[in-house]
Amino acid sequence: MAERTLRVALAGNPNAGKSTIFNVLTGSHQHVGNWPGKTVEKKEGFFEYRGLRVEMVDLPGTYSLSAYSPEEQIAQEYITEEHPDVVVNVIDASNFERNLYLTTQLLEIGVPLILVLNVWDVAQQLGYKIDVEKLSQLLGVPVLTAIASKGVGIAELKEALYRAAEHREEIRPREGLVKYEHALERAVRQLTEAIEQLPDLEGYRPRWLAVKLLEGDKHAERVISAHPQGAEVLALREKLKARLKHTYDDEIDIAFADGRYAFVRGLSRHVLTMPHRPPTTLSDRIDRIVTNRVLGIPLFLFLMYIVFNLVQTVSAPFMDWIDELFSGPITAWTLAALSAGHAPAWLVSLITDGVIAGVGSILVFVPGLMVMFFALAFLEDSGYLARAAFLMDKAMSFLGLNGRAFIPMILGFGCNVPAVYATRTIENRAARILTGILIPFMSCSARLPVYVVFGLALFGAHAGVVIWSLYLIGIAIASIAGWVLSHLVFTEVQKSVFVLELPHYRMPTLMTLWLHTWEHTSEFIRKAGTVILGISVLLWMLLNLPWGVKNPQQSYFGKVSSAIAPIYEPAGFGTWQAAGALVSGFVAKEVVISTMAQVYLSEPTSTAQAPAQLHPLEDLKQIVVDFGKATIDAAKAFLNVLTPGVNLFPKHGAGVSETGLSRALSRAFTPLSAFAFLVYVLLYTPCVATVAAQAQEYGWRWALFSIALSLTTAWIAATGVYQIGLLLGFH
Amino acid sequence: MAHNAMPLSMAKVGEEVKVIEVRGGQRLRRRLIELGFTPGTRVRILQDHGGPLLLAIGNSRLAMGRGMAHKILVTTETPVIQGSAHG
Repeated sequence: MAERTLRVALAGNPNAGKSTIFNVLTGSHQHVGNWPGKTVEKKEGFFEYRGLRVEMVDLPGTYSLSAYSPEEQIAQEYITEEHPDVVVNVIDASNFERNLYLTTQLLEIGVPLILVLNVWDVAQQLGYKIDVEKLSQLLGVPVLTAIASKGVGIAELKEALYRAAEHREEIRPREGLVKYEHALERAVRQLTEAIEQLPDLEGYRPRWLAVKLLEGDKHAERVISAHPQGAEVLALREKLKARLKHTYDDEIDIAFADGRYAFVRGLSRHVLTMPHRPPTTLSDRIDRIVTNRVLGIPLFLFLMYIVFNLVQTVSAPFMDWIDELFSGPITAWTLAALSAGHAPAWLVSLITDGVIAGVGSILVFVPGLMVMFFALAFLEDSGYLARAAFLMDKAMSFLGLNGRAFIPMILGFGCNVPAVYATRTIENRAARILTGILIPFMSCSARLPVYVVFGLALFGAHAGVVIWSLYLIGIAIASIAGWVLSHLVFTEVQKSVFVLELPHYRMPTLMTLWLHTWEHTSEFIRKAGTVILGISVLLWMLLNLPWGVKNPQQSYFGKVSSAIAPIYEPAGFGTWQAAGALVSGFVAKEVVISTMAQVYLSEPTSTAQAPAQLHPLEDLKQIVVDFGKATIDAAKAFLNVLTPGVNLFPKHGAGVSETGLSRALSRAFTPLSAFAFLVYVLLYTPCVATVAAQAQEYGWRWALFSIALSLTTAWIAATGVYQIGLLLGFH
Repeated sequence: MAHNAMPLSMAKVGEEVKVIEVRGGQRLRRRLIELGFTPGTRVRILQDHGGPLLLAIGNSRLAMGRGMAHKILVTTETPVIQGSAHG
């Protein structure tokens, strides 16, 4: 059992390998949440070593510390306010100078520090020679080397942390290590002296506060102005700033940044020797092809095609398996249990038609999402996603967005929910929200069943063309909406600048990929799941109340639908059935078809009493067998996807079974009104899960804005299609 | 100032240039300095797709929008062999 605790924060640049070190150290003992009031991820974990419990926080990856971006603010506030016992600064040794900029800021804060020169192998390959001992001497803090992806140097880091717990003060950098040029330095000293007069600085270093105040940092200003005698210090600051203005104009903070770089360069002159001409790396060779002007985009489209197919084909067998599991054995067993307990009919219906059907409809998404998250994590961790953003930057600029927005958009074709979460990688808040609002126009895979059923019922041989045109309409509407919104609402996105570091290619470890996949999947199940479940129960109540209603049109659901129906009159589908299907389609788009099947065919609902006999053992066996089949099918599909153009396992007998529904639809719709209906299905709010994701990421205000936008756009487009179609003589 | 100064956005693919000055707003300048674009730093242009540029600075690779690259003033690396002093 651990008797003592050491609180450690990991700091470093993005891509320096911080997360790898965090994962290797803490393994499964980690927890992912959000920083209070922010959408930035907070990762915490712990490990034990020789009776010492080490609690770690993985700070957001940043290039510097300031109140400039949410990530930097979080990192700076955590280090200065939460007083971790030790900060471990992870440095990409192959990119030594750039990474040391952040180090200088950590030295200035004066927190006990350990440097880890990670990616040591790459630095060696590049011919970098870093004098580790000398660096440690000059800075007065321990310096270690590591290749975290291979577990090299981790034992040494644990040992260094163990020693740090004993002699924490010995690894605290001394004050005034980083010095500035003459005029700046004089101002810093003068202000430091004034701050030193203040009693009780809560552990802040006076010199750090002085530098930060002169830089105009809001956080340091807060600390000082909260102090009873802070006003004098702030007055002196203004005086000093006015004096510095003669030399530096309005760019005092840039002079400080320059000063830090001068320190870094001085340092690297002493400890770093590198070859005159850097050798071409494997990463560069891959980039010559992958980011090539001619080959880059086709290669990207090809990769996307593979990811798409993987998501659809690999997950489909498992989706069917889950679907059958819920509609079959689980429903049967529950019915048996309920009837054995003499449950009233309404409870049976609520649990089977409402809760089980609802939970089933959530879980059915899970395999697809897991495949998607896994593929996304692979593309991201390998370093490819950053290249894709580079390739698509030009095309995205038309929407007022930059390359970073492209990845979430393309993911939207698979499923809008993870796509919305993927917008987190976009730095600029306005651009992030705009992207999240355009994603619903990307036709997700849940809409395809609706297109297919209608296509076959009303368009026969032209079904394929109709379906393709819907995808294109979605892209066109997204482009128009993006252009308009970026000019009218999200004007700040125009100012967002594009700069993105392309990490060196690397093979992601399976553990990291799994951690990413599971983290996102469980988040989906937890958060979106509760919403879908609630709405499913609500829909059940509306369809079954007043209790005992025979004709669905007489249910509350039917009455609400009838009330809504006239809105869709101009678009050509103003019937209560169509309106009702659209309302239930708000939960998930596939529901449109199942609702139509219910209302057009008035099928008896599944509330038929429990079957006389149960075969739990046979059921269990069947479940296992089916799972095995699903796995084999998925494996086959996987191989098929990886060998495009060659179908190794051709499908047999893919027919359409819903012929009854087809006939009903061809009576209820004309080709024109059906097309208008499909345009509406394409464009209106995709599902509650997407709305929940939008609310979580951008707040309810923007989620509601997105609903309003998609509903109006859908209505205008569908009505336009119908009315223009009528004028042109279609019917 | 060097006579062959130009914006980074106009440098040719494969060329190695030296940063002279970073222009533009304070936030942008600071951001670029933090990424290592300090005067004297060498930058190589790896790709130019008409839109963004792919750059090598130190050992890092950066994708940079053209607008941003326009704000960085550079000079082409011409090694002065004669060592003739000027200015």
